[in-house]
Amino acid sequence: MTEISYLAVGPVAALTLGVVVILLVEVTWKPPTAWLGAIAGVSLLGGFILAVAQWVEASDDPIIRFRGMLALDPFAAFGAVVLTVLGAVALLVAWPLVVEQGRRAAEFIALVLLALAGMILMAAAAHFIMLFLALEVASISLYVLAGFNRHRAESNEASIKYFLLGSFASAVFLYGVALSYAATGSLSLYDTAEFLGETVLLDSAALLAGIGLLIVGLAFKVSAAPFHMWAPDVYQGAASGVSGFMTAGAKVAGFAALARITVTSYGPYISDWAPAVGAIAALSVLVGTMLAIAQSDIKRMLAYSSIAHAGFILTGLVAGIDGVPYVWFYVVTYAFQVLGAFAVVSVVSGPSGAKSPLTDYAGLAQRAPVLAGSLALLMFSMAGIPLTAGFLSKLYVFREAVDAGYLWLAVLGAVASVAGLFFYLRVIVLMYMSPNGEKSPAPTDIRVGDPVRLALTSVAVVTLAFGIVPGPLLDVVTSALPF
Amino acid sequence: MEVTAGWYLALGAVLFVIGAGGMLLRRNALVMFMSIELMLNAVNLTFVAIGRHVGDLNGQVAVFFVMVVAAAEVVVGLAIMISVFRRRASASVDDLAVLKG
Repeated sequence: MTEISYLAVGPVAALTLGVVVILLVEVTWKPPTAWLGAIAGVSLLGGFILAVAQWVEASDDPIIRFRGMLALDPFAAFGAVVLTVLGAVALLVAWPLVVEQGRRAAEFIALVLLALAGMILMAAAAHFIMLFLALEVASISLYVLAGFNRHRAESNEASIKYFLLGSFASAVFLYGVALSYAATGSLSLYDTAEFLGETVLLDSAALLAGIGLLIVGLAFKVSAAPFHMWAPDVYQGAASGVSGFMTAGAKVAGFAALARITVTSYGPYISDWAPAVGAIAALSVLVGTMLAIAQSDIKRMLAYSSIAHAGFILTGLVAGIDGVPYVWFYVVTYAFQVLGAFAVVSVVSGPSGAKSPLTDYAGLAQRAPVLAGSLALLMFSMAGIPLTAGFLSKLYVFREAVDAGYLWLAVLGAVASVAGLFFYLRVIVLMYMSPNGEKSPAPTDIRVGDPVRLALTSVAVVTLAFGIVPGPLLDVVTSALPF
Repeated sequence: MEVTAGWYLALGAVLFVIGAGGMLLRRNALVMFMSIELMLNAVNLTFVAIGRHVGDLNGQVAVFFVMVVAAAEVVVGLAIMISVFRRRASASVDDLAVLKG
């Protein structure tokens, strides 16, 4: 229980080492941006290898290390594997933006890696203080990334909104931790679980309030309704090259943390928190779908669709530990899809642009067939058309919800998916069936750089491969359970 | 009358609610940020009171981490506010309405 384990912090150490090297190299030699990218690539590769090593080690023998601070279990290892891959794809997507930053490129790359380190720790934290620190490392890096183009009004606005509401959410989360501590006398996730397992609380009001505030705080971070107000503004205002990373990373890490807290620490109280999670899920699905229909800017549309997807993912969580594998399945495949969608947006509207009106996409199939094809595939998958990962992930979470007795939630989700077809298919119709928009100022020929092309290919492979052959990923996620 | 842990928890709850109210009602970014700091300090008071009550050091230690994180948030937050202020010489969040829909 107490030993130090370098493997438990391996992926995080690789990424933070990368950050330190990048910043030191930048102040000493001012190397070309490509070198900084290479260092980031090496540290991400190192993090990935160590995460796989964690998986191999932890699948036989899950354990808590660093005096109860960090879990070395398949759940944490899987989170680290996914996040390092996601980070690598995100850097490829953001590469045109990185190059545009000139001498500030090092800071940008460092912030991305630092945010990833925080996200990996969120999936691995076994102690509330550790979780809070991880959450803040990730969040503060993302606040800065949102406002990285400090000369653009949209970027400033996105950053300050994200910062104020994100800090508010962190404070709410922390008060939830304090109330849970008041009820159980422990700040360790696992001691809390042990205490709640063997003690009957005479008065559970403080505990339930604490759990509620914890869920609200994390629901803010994953942009679930009614705590979603910041998401559309932030994802639109941030540079297109980085919005995808902000959406995908925050979702993976936020849901990992939420799943670990709810199913391990508060497992005995599932009948109390599951209805709350179900209500948030239902509201997110409704709000996200209905407001996405009304959008005329694709980045806002994707932001509202990400709120709806947060609702679908929460639908899987009402089943408790049984739903966790399918929460993983959904959040992992969705993270790659949203990253790919924002990658297309970053090419069509420019990597540092904020606005991306849907009219820019009229006739895109003629101007850029690769982009239009990738975006069409991703829209099909997000809408949940069969043979894509998006279909299976929806199917699995609905099944879990029904098994857990939440038939109404599954029905609501299915109806919302059908309504969602409208705005996903609208993009496809616009790209393939409308003439090259005469109003559209976009150039007639859009060049796709190699990094973005590579990123889009990997995203398309993930979306199709796990949509047709979900078996391998299902095997992995069903063993990626918390300790 | 003895002042028990319950009093501190109640004070913490009141401060937290005042902070949350300020965050939701005030329109000046700096005041909103001060409200968040008030919420964090309410949490700190709660942590210390409970740590003392149950005789567990974790509660006291948590406060240091919260203070450090709050300081880091101040650094980033004020930098963001300055970059906004430079553009429009106003700290009111109502003026920030480029993004909507």
